Amino acid sequence: MNYNILSYLIGEGFKNVFRNKKSTFAALIIMFATMITVGIGLAGARNVTSMVKQLEEEVPVTVYINDGLSTSEQQEVEDYIKSIESVNKVEYTSKAEALKEAKEKLAENAELLSQYSENNHPFPASYTITLTDINKSQDVVNAINSVEDIKEKIKEIKTPDTVISGLNRIDRGIKFLFFGIGALLIVVSIVIIGNTIKLAVHARRREISIMKYVGATNNFIRAPFIVEGVVIGVLATAISILLLGVLYHLAYNKFNGMLITNIGFGMLQFGDIFQITMLVYIVLGVGIGVLGSVFSMKKYLKV
Amino acid sequence: MIEFRNVNKTYSTGTEAVHNANFKIEKGEFAFLVGSSGSGKSTLIKMILKEEDPTSGNIIINGKDTTFIKSRRIPYLRRSMGVVFQDFRLLPDKTVYENVAFAMYIVRATPKHIRRQVPMVLSLVGLSGKAKMYPNELSGGEQQRVALARALVNNPSMLIADEPTGNLDPDTAWEIMNLLNSINLRGTTVVVATHAKDIVDKMKKRVIQIDKGIIVRDDKKGGYDSEL
Ligand SMILES: Nc1ncnc2c1ncn2[C@@H]1O[C@H](COP(=O)(O)OP(=O)(O)O)[C@@H](O)[C@H]1O
Ligand SMILES: [Mg+2]
Repeated sequence: MNYNILSYLIGEGFKNVFRNKKSTFAALIIMFATMITVGIGLAGARNVTSMVKQLEEEVPVTVYINDGLSTSEQQEVEDYIKSIESVNKVEYTSKAEALKEAKEKLAENAELLSQYSENNHPFPASYTITLTDINKSQDVVNAINSVEDIKEKIKEIKTPDTVISGLNRIDRGIKFLFFGIGALLIVVSIVIIGNTIKLAVHARRREISIMKYVGATNNFIRAPFIVEGVVIGVLATAISILLLGVLYHLAYNKFNGMLITNIGFGMLQFGDIFQITMLVYIVLGVGIGVLGSVFSMKKYLKV
Repeated sequence: MIEFRNVNKTYSTGTEAVHNANFKIEKGEFAFLVGSSGSGKSTLIKMILKEEDPTSGNIIINGKDTTFIKSRRIPYLRRSMGVVFQDFRLLPDKTVYENVAFAMYIVRATPKHIRRQVPMVLSLVGLSGKAKMYPNELSGGEQQRVALARALVNNPSMLIADEPTGNLDPDTAWEIMNLLNSINLRGTTVVVATHAKDIVDKMKKRVIQIDKGIIVRDDKKGGYDSEL
């Protein structure tokens, strides 16, 4: 294919995009909606996955104790925990240290916790337990709960299983919801972009029929319309990635601190999910553009 | 060059448009297809162009049976034939020059070849001075000349015309027919479907007459209706 033909095909494709402003706009909107939906799902799922991974690397069991226990009461708890089979190491974190750690995790967002003083804050003291066998965490929990005297001094026990399975459920929920809606929107996009291309083809059916009589190949006739679909797809990609970036930053500012305080892990940076999102968007944009134009041209290529 | 062997065509609507057609048009020949409206002339032409497939029978173009040709090959088959229609089928937003060059662009001719070939073929059809005009600035006869130039610009071995003078007044029709004749004299095989009785009578060319889908006459130097 020589350069002149290539520039002809691309030039015609771009001309089509602007010839049919209204339907191009409609196609852009629906592709944009599709991409944002898929993008939100992707960002959510990526974050949850990263949290699960971090959690799995963490120490298996954390036992949070009630505020205001006496030193001897604390010692009693500690001794008991140490006596449990399959407990390897026990490390104490005081209430004061708990606040410090929370602030460290928040890093630049530490001022979220500035209202709290060392003695008055929601983070409890805790024992961090390393196990000899990572699969025995439920045994440890059962052992602690089986002794009433110990159990009443415990505020909460966190095992990675509960958190991870909870997160996995959220992960599945996000995927199901957003990718389900996304798939639906992809189909709608293909239909709508197909319609846009159909209008462009219809407007040029005379030209196409002449091309056929003169001996143009189907690919030659199709190419400008595929270019049109792809141009719309790429435009939608550009708008969507920009808006997703903005949305992500808003969500980050709103939720990151909260997540760190509550589960100890923050959100990924937008940069961490940019590549995969961009890849998905380009595949979506180009794929929907090509599929839409190929489907909508079938009828006109007969003769 | 163009051979029909026992060709039948029944449209999906049930209309039998062509019934057992047999004829052979040789290279360099000039042949009229005549018959009243609805007799099946356009159907014959559409089957030559591979726009319609015969229901049964074989059509041989340039020695090749096109009956089972792959659809991918059809564009290349069409490049061996130029076509003109009653309604000219020009692109209104392109100039005369561009309308003709378009046909070369489509078959990926080089710009150099296009620049050389288009003026040549425009001069052949007598439109050298009108290259920059748009179709709506031309008379019907001139528009048909543009269509002819477009059909000829890629040097096809045959020219197929379906009622090329149907929209033209008698004088202009004669001009176009004479042009077709001179194109034929340059070696191009010409097939013309037409209603224009007096022209057919006077030109004394081969006449293939079709009536209700049946070829009723094939006369080497005939008139429109001489023996019926
Ligand atoms: N696409 C089609 N579908 C169904 N019937 C058709 C079609 N084209 C033509 N016909 C019918 O076939 C017959 C022959 O038509 P046509 O070949 O166009 O005749 P002509 O060109 O001689 O006027 C007519 O009865 C016409 O109605
Ligand atoms: Mg006809």
